[in-house]
Amino acid sequence: MLRHLFKLIWNKKGTHSLLIIEVWAAFMVLFGVLTLIVFNLRNYLQPIGFQYEQVWNLELSSNQDTTELAPKLQRALQRVRAYPEVITASRMSSNTPFSANQIGNSVTYNKVNVGGDFYYTDTELAKVLDLPLKKGRWYAESDLAGKFIPIVINQAMEDKLFQNESGLNKVIKRDDKTMYKVVGIVDRFKAKGQFMSDTPGLFQILEKNDRWNSNILIKTKPGTDAHFEARLVKDIAMLLPGWGVEVGYLKDSRKNRENLTLVPVLIFLIVSGFLLTNVALGLFGVLNLNIAKRKGEIGLRRAMGATESKVTGQFLGEIWVLATFSLIIGLIFAVQFPLMNVFDLDKEIYIIAILAAVAVIYIIVTICAWFPSKQAATIHPAVALHEE
Amino acid sequence: MLSNYIKIAWKVLLRHPFYTFITLFGITLTLTVLMVVTSFVDHLFGAHYPENKRGRSLYIANIVQTDSANTTMSSGPASFDFLTKYAKSIKSAERVAIMSNFSFSNAYTNGKRIKLNTKYTDVDFWSVTDFEFLEGKPYDETNIRNADHVAVITDALREQYFGNDAETVVGKTIDIENINYRVIGVVKGSPPTRVYTYSDVYFPYTAPKSNYENKGIRGRFAAIVLTKSPADLPEVQAEFDSYVARIPRSEYSDNNHFNVLIVKADTYFDHFLNTFARNDKDRITLYVIVGLVFLMIMGLPAVNLVNVNVSRILERASEIGVRKAFGAPSKALLWQFIIENVFITFIGGAFALILTLVVIHFINSSGWIAYADLTINLPVFLVSVLVCLVFGLLSGVLPAFRMSKLKIAEALKV
Repeated sequence: MLRHLFKLIWNKKGTHSLLIIEVWAAFMVLFGVLTLIVFNLRNYLQPIGFQYEQVWNLELSSNQDTTELAPKLQRALQRVRAYPEVITASRMSSNTPFSANQIGNSVTYNKVNVGGDFYYTDTELAKVLDLPLKKGRWYAESDLAGKFIPIVINQAMEDKLFQNESGLNKVIKRDDKTMYKVVGIVDRFKAKGQFMSDTPGLFQILEKNDRWNSNILIKTKPGTDAHFEARLVKDIAMLLPGWGVEVGYLKDSRKNRENLTLVPVLIFLIVSGFLLTNVALGLFGVLNLNIAKRKGEIGLRRAMGATESKVTGQFLGEIWVLATFSLIIGLIFAVQFPLMNVFDLDKEIYIIAILAAVAVIYIIVTICAWFPSKQAATIHPAVALHEE
Repeated sequence: MLSNYIKIAWKVLLRHPFYTFITLFGITLTLTVLMVVTSFVDHLFGAHYPENKRGRSLYIANIVQTDSANTTMSSGPASFDFLTKYAKSIKSAERVAIMSNFSFSNAYTNGKRIKLNTKYTDVDFWSVTDFEFLEGKPYDETNIRNADHVAVITDALREQYFGNDAETVVGKTIDIENINYRVIGVVKGSPPTRVYTYSDVYFPYTAPKSNYENKGIRGRFAAIVLTKSPADLPEVQAEFDSYVARIPRSEYSDNNHFNVLIVKADTYFDHFLNTFARNDKDRITLYVIVGLVFLMIMGLPAVNLVNVNVSRILERASEIGVRKAFGAPSKALLWQFIIENVFITFIGGAFALILTLVVIHFINSSGWIAYADLTINLPVFLVSVLVCLVFGLLSGVLPAFRMSKLKIAEALKV
């Protein structure tokens, strides 16, 4: 049966070549869009790992002031913590959650080198962001007395750096001068929002006299509003004359951040949706015409005793074989992506995208072939043969 | 002859509404997508308010420090000092404006927070750009010299901060981060997609917190060099390049980290391209990707149309047979079908134009981009017509070729 179908299609390869090209192109478009969707959806399904609803980001910039920056920053932090509206506050490097800034570096353990995001913060960050620790504890002031700089890493970092071992209390190296000791491990910290992939990350304690990292994350009590914000900005601006003071809500920056991912995906989705509708309609039209042209053949088969479902089955089989032809060509292109590791994406993403694209193509061609062949199959043999 | 072909095409269209629908649906959607994209590209790169003189402007916005082996690289905006030394001094230019990239701030009024973008500019900024002043005037050299706390705000901020019913706001003060600025002018705002001119508040660069005093070559400023005419662009570029070539290495090497300095005065489009693709290889990759995406968007519906048309050959078989039997050459038939196709494409194009207007209106009014001013202007329209033609030919040639090749006997048999 299958061989017969192949022969039928091969005999008309001239007319079918266009159909094959069309299905192939549709498959390639689908593959591209689905890769994008699968990649983002997989990230979206992983929780971001911390709480941000009540957290504000106070950004200070010293501008032309160059004297005594560290004590001034300490004073600002003390002032912020003193407000009754503030639950707790923590200093952090400029790569605060959902910001566009990134600080990357790499660490080595047993010759394994892993790059990741570096976050410089103080001892309060875990409380401000409700970042639960999986193992160990968050670093404290007393850790600074030790020989190594205390750090907290995330699960992804532990997996990559220590393979199957536990990373707790291990000493790792950044460069010849800097050695770290892992005091705690958090589960996830997707600082760039829901759509970020869970990449390795590391928190390093800020030294007391640090003067470069001038962001303060503030966890406010529920119900705190812009009145307090205005007061805060005014007070800090008085405390630090000449400095830039800016307050942002993490939940606002999260929305902005995620829109950066969502809007392009949405545009692609709409455009490719239209493209596929277009293809489906065209396919339907072409198959309708082609099948209508073969009334004589249908009549003959019906007269010889083929049932309606058998005739329908034949047409569906034909279109499936045709789709398979194009999909094989499409797959030759598509498998290059996981094989050559294009864009450094997980292989799994490509494979899911390929499978989904194949499924969608089969569904589309089946629907497009179903109605015309169903219609054709109901024709009475006498009528069909009479026309001939 | 032409009108005859078109008449026939029209009759064919009316004969099978379903197939006409498929055809027009495909054409309309494809062309709509392309027209909206063209309009958006025009919005991004064309000369529009307030950068109406983009055609003869050069942008200096990015400094790249690297080494000859390309192992380390650092890039970012320039410092005020750098631009004053090397851009302001360009003699062949008409004017040079220096402005900071926008930064963020907040203002508070009646327990409400207003998010602000701020920008520090020099006086020339107001002559290089074409901001429309609804009230007041821009700051001048005296304001700069005295380091006055003055500001030019946009109409949107005026409404948010002072309310709707304020008659005139010039002379009133606005409190931003605990500093009172006197409002000196109100301009019609510009969309945030024009990053070098977009802001909510404009300060003279001597106002507090602009950091224009910083030494070194990197900072947060950019410059727009206005030339006298578009023909002068290469000359000005050459002059700027010669200045850059003379910068001593000690100024940019950063303790011998870097030995190569790349700063270019580019037209807006080149400048934009350079932020994505630094070398020729990247640029080719970028073009290939964009080309492929367009090929897909246009190619898929075109193949679809060809497919439908080819399948419908037999519908027209008797007509072709009769015409051939009466001596019409293949060429005449070929032309007939191509013209028919182009005609149908133009009908689709007309629908697409209407649909595009709707989509653009939707984008403009959705607030997705503040002050969005997407339009279908003459260049966009001409590109669209061209696209229609290409699309019509693309989808028409093969079916026409096939139809004209039909044998007389075969055609008449059906």
